[in-house]
Amino acid sequence: MTSPPILFAVDIGGTFTDLVALELDSGAIHVEKLLTTFPDPSGAVLEGVQKLLKSNNLSPASIRYVVHGTTLITNTLIERAGAKTALLTTAGFRDAVEIGNEGRYDMYDLALLKPPPLAERRLRFDVPERMLADGTVWRPLDETRTREICEALRAEDIEAVAICFLHAYTNPAHELAALAIVREELPAVSTSASHQVAPGMREYPRASTTIANAYVQPITERYMERVASGLKESGIDAPLNIMLSSGGTTTVAAARAFPVRLVESGPAGGALAGLYWGRLVGQKDVLAFDMGGTTAKAALTRDGELAISHQSEVAHVHRFKRGSGLPLMVPMIEMIEIGAGGGSIARLNALGLPAVGPQSAGSAPGPASYGMGGGEPTVTDADLLLGYLNPEYFAGGSIKLDAESARASFIELSTALDLPLERMAWGVHQLVNENMAAAARVHAAERGLEVRRYCMVATGGAGPVHACGVAQGLGISRIIVPPLAGVGSAFGFLTAPIAFDFTRSYVAKLSELDLRELNRILKSLEREGRRIVEAAGVPASDVTVRLNIDMRYVGQGYEVRVPFPMETLNEQHVGLMQRAFEDEYRAFYGQLAEGVPIEAVNWRVLISGPRPDIKSAPLDAVDRSDDAPVAYRSVSFAPDQARQNTPVYRREQLGVAWSADGPLIIEEAASTTVVLPGWSARMAEGGCLLLTRRSSDKNLQGASA
Amino acid sequence: MREIDDATSQPPSKSPPIAMGGDLPANARTLLGSTASRMALPSPMRWGGAGGGVKRSLMIDPITLEVIWSRLISVVDEQAAALIHSSFTTVVREAGDLSAGVFDRGGNMIAQSVTGTPGHINTMANCVRRYVVPNYPIDSLQPGDTLITNDPWEASGHLFDLTIVSPVFYRGRGVAYFASTCHAVDIGGATMGGDARSLYEEGLAIPLMKLFKAGEANRELFNIIRANVRVPDQVIGDIYAQEVGNQVGARKLIEMLDEYDLPDIEEVSALILDRTEAAVRDAIRSLPDGVYRNTIMIDGFDEPLTIACALTVDGDELIVDYEGSSPQVDRGINVVLNYTHAYTTYTLMAALAPGIPNNEGAFRPIEVRAPLGSILNCTRPAPVSARHLIGHFVSQPLLTALAEIVPKQVIANGSAGLWNTMMDGMDETGEEFAYIFFSAGGMGAAQDRDGLSATAFPSGIMGVPVEAIETAAPLLMHRRELRPDSGGAGRFRGGLGQVMELEIITGAPANHSCMYDRTGSPALGLLGGKPGAAGDLRLSDGGRPHPKSHYVLQPGQRVILELPGGGGYGPPSDRDPKRVLEDARQGYISVDTAERDYAVVISAATMAVDEAATTALRKEREA
Repeated sequence: MTSPPILFAVDIGGTFTDLVALELDSGAIHVEKLLTTFPDPSGAVLEGVQKLLKSNNLSPASIRYVVHGTTLITNTLIERAGAKTALLTTAGFRDAVEIGNEGRYDMYDLALLKPPPLAERRLRFDVPERMLADGTVWRPLDETRTREICEALRAEDIEAVAICFLHAYTNPAHELAALAIVREELPAVSTSASHQVAPGMREYPRASTTIANAYVQPITERYMERVASGLKESGIDAPLNIMLSSGGTTTVAAARAFPVRLVESGPAGGALAGLYWGRLVGQKDVLAFDMGGTTAKAALTRDGELAISHQSEVAHVHRFKRGSGLPLMVPMIEMIEIGAGGGSIARLNALGLPAVGPQSAGSAPGPASYGMGGGEPTVTDADLLLGYLNPEYFAGGSIKLDAESARASFIELSTALDLPLERMAWGVHQLVNENMAAAARVHAAERGLEVRRYCMVATGGAGPVHACGVAQGLGISRIIVPPLAGVGSAFGFLTAPIAFDFTRSYVAKLSELDLRELNRILKSLEREGRRIVEAAGVPASDVTVRLNIDMRYVGQGYEVRVPFPMETLNEQHVGLMQRAFEDEYRAFYGQLAEGVPIEAVNWRVLISGPRPDIKSAPLDAVDRSDDAPVAYRSVSFAPDQARQNTPVYRREQLGVAWSADGPLIIEEAASTTVVLPGWSARMAEGGCLLLTRRSSDKNLQGASA
Repeated sequence: MREIDDATSQPPSKSPPIAMGGDLPANARTLLGSTASRMALPSPMRWGGAGGGVKRSLMIDPITLEVIWSRLISVVDEQAAALIHSSFTTVVREAGDLSAGVFDRGGNMIAQSVTGTPGHINTMANCVRRYVVPNYPIDSLQPGDTLITNDPWEASGHLFDLTIVSPVFYRGRGVAYFASTCHAVDIGGATMGGDARSLYEEGLAIPLMKLFKAGEANRELFNIIRANVRVPDQVIGDIYAQEVGNQVGARKLIEMLDEYDLPDIEEVSALILDRTEAAVRDAIRSLPDGVYRNTIMIDGFDEPLTIACALTVDGDELIVDYEGSSPQVDRGINVVLNYTHAYTTYTLMAALAPGIPNNEGAFRPIEVRAPLGSILNCTRPAPVSARHLIGHFVSQPLLTALAEIVPKQVIANGSAGLWNTMMDGMDETGEEFAYIFFSAGGMGAAQDRDGLSATAFPSGIMGVPVEAIETAAPLLMHRRELRPDSGGAGRFRGGLGQVMELEIITGAPANHSCMYDRTGSPALGLLGGKPGAAGDLRLSDGGRPHPKSHYVLQPGQRVILELPGGGGYGPPSDRDPKRVLEDARQGYISVDTAERDYAVVISAATMAVDEAATTALRKEREA
């Protein structure tokens, strides 16, 4: 490597393909945005790489690695455009994926639809075999029958096979044997086994995950192939690493084996970026909050790391109804998504009260003020009427907003409720803020986190407009509005360590742990992980290994995740495990269940390389003297108060030393930051805007009431 | 009036006589109650009586109201989340057999969590308002108090359900209650099932009393519970989980009051309940006035039972009267009026007003009557343990009666009653185990889609994964799959039931309590649709246990449960032959069924429709 080393990130979204190049030595960042190409998104990737290299005089040889995230997997599942997939399962249980949890996700919908399994019933095959819950064999695998089934699969031209046997997470012997047979009989077919894809109890989500993995595998393989060879043809010899939903990156080979772990990797990048900017400004507890045109997403850190969940859903029948999707049991950055964005429509609900979203005007026709045919009042229209948005400089001036259309769209609603138009607009703004705050609050409660301590990192076109309002609803008093808003996810990819994690279920009371067996399991997981991480270019000496143990009281069904030192375990560690569990449990639930034995359930080993060092961030050195307001406009901040003449700044003109007290507005091409009365703003590290709530405020004191 | 309302029974007093007819004087209510008990709130009553007196300067406009109200919903969701995550039992965690809600000073339920089941939500609503508040007005309580009861008549209809209620104090004054109802995995007595001859055989009864007094646990009560149940750690653990949930709710409510500078939630409550009531009245007003009737037969314990309903639409009010239903029986399948009320209001809301929130206001325009002493309004001390077996069925004649006026908003009858399987015995280590899980048959079809297979309705409860069952109890499930041909034929087919095959693997016998219905009375189809298959229960050696009793399952013996399917909607001859073929290809129906029920001839060899033969057969049948 002669020229300075570069990291490259590519994020393929539904509309745009974003690219970011980071020069490690100088911290210089170059970005490129292209329309995503369909049906083959690798076209835009390769074109973007070429453009970025050429326009910035970068040498392909100096690229250290390329991180790639894609919505391809998620889209394949949503559009149900994957491979023809069969399931082999324990005889008597082929309908587990169709019976599901026997529940209804909406109690009051008599005409409910459930997501059909990705493998239709006639392609789900009974295999005679049975393990018991403790991993002992009750009935051996019928290999002859397994081969017969392979015959049937061949006749059906099956492209992918998922194998999910009961209790395979405690003893995978039968799955392994069946896997070997299928691979031998059908070498061209993709295979996925549940103990590898989603090793955890509960046959429905495990089978669902395994089928989803098999279903997207062929398409992922073809795609990865094209991207890898395309990069090679561009003269890029650096490793291609793939972004995972868990916030780590991995090798192409691992991604091809577990493509379902790539679901929602784009939003994962956004959350990682939030974590990065938070750390840069010295904030450990971060709420990454992204609000776009249709949805808002939020992710919370725990002890300075993004929380990882192993229970999620994809391809929902009703996008915002929990339980209406296909369950996935893969490590994923915990995130909530709600139907709240700039395009969210305000209507009267069944009680005659105003409600905002989840219906959205999207980008076509878009909000009424776009003047593109949208007539219903939206959040953007409300924001415009309140004076938060500049009609001449929305999306950098590329969309002219029409205040008259916005006003007209609110007439019906304000007449129906007998409220002044501006009060109505303010109400819509407030309602959408409360919806987002409520979702974040419940999410935090489900995890036992106290959200008011957090620092919000606000992104997305509408995020910084609503950040102060949402923060107030959550009792949050610090907000970061980071730079590079347009390519946040791709930038987040660059901050991701190379990492892979493995989970093994080994259920035992702490008092009955077989430490020899356990040490053997942990060592083998570590070995496997090191292999992957080192293959992605991490020197062996830079690899760190962490252990998390999921523990619970015997009888409970949800576990508490307890970080524990990764070392060879001996008798003394058992006492430490109990103490570590009790500390976590108390923090979560307040009180212990004295006298009830504790058991360990899952052992999670996370193997990772170092977090890329990108401390030298883009705007540190910039100083300017033209950071006075560019304009003043009349803005409404409370329904019962007069509008205030409010200074408007241009973000790119703000120097490192700039600070001011709200109310004020900061405009940039990608968004608008609204700083409410009671808040102050200043430029902080790396070009971040830092908003803080002044402590004299009543609601901050209210916390101790 | 109830028969056992004797003067010697001291507090807690029973809830006021169930008759609550509008503006009737007290004596007239009693009179009415002697022939038919009624449950409905008079519409003007909305302040819940007690307390009040706080001067309100606040003007709550519709926007602020919606904001605060959304917030209240998120508060009860936080309550439920904390409860579920700290629970010790699969009944609560996986099956979701719980409810959680917030109540104003008068005990009016304002908001409920999204998780939950109607049998708990709506009964809890009545229990707090009519039983808890009159006995423990909020001003008589102090911070740190928590109340508990499992009175079947006042709460959710059997002793297993513990209702735990905690007052919330703000600025020195009681402002709200948080309550939850959860199914305890054991409550002593005979295990869950229909066998008992009276309530006294069914376990530990806990009259309304304090579980915590000013933050101090009521040790005596905890000891009594511990001494009476088979799995005390789980039962006590879940009681703590309920308390944790209530406290989380309380904390979040206080934060909300602080934030919006509200003294309490009385005004918000009154506005929400009134608006809800008005919306429900609007929905009812759109229906043609008249009386709509339907009657179904179900298995009962030994004798079939009748459930008759007459639905009267009178302007903006609905009256559901179960006059003509069978008398109560001396087995534990009797239903208290509170439970009947819960499933009646739930079914009506789902069919007529699905977008309107379920709270006290929604119940006001709806009156539910059942003859005292009937199976749907039993008297003390009737046994009630397996009351859901009957209670879930009130939804069925109700939907069919509604089909006369709103056929597109209802579904055909389905398996309705959850199948509850309870096993208890000794595991290999000599420790007692008691395990219960719930399973669902098929739902009825709708006007434009097939019924859902193996899905609980009207109950909101979920099944438990086989792997979770086998990890928690010494059971082996040999099979759990859809039951082909069990969905009733129709233009849209009923959902399929499921088949389960179970064995005990301790090497010792275990007690199996069966709570299964529709073994003799299948779910009827709607508007020309055919009935679903009835359920079946048998042993691998040919034995046939009583579907509502218990028996001893021997080692090596297997029990086979075949759950009922849902009824079809519309004539089967209207079903698109393509759909019939697809059903046959997937094995939801057999080729024979395609021909017999749908007059679609499918070649088993090619799995294709024989068009000519089908046309001929359909013509022949029409003739």
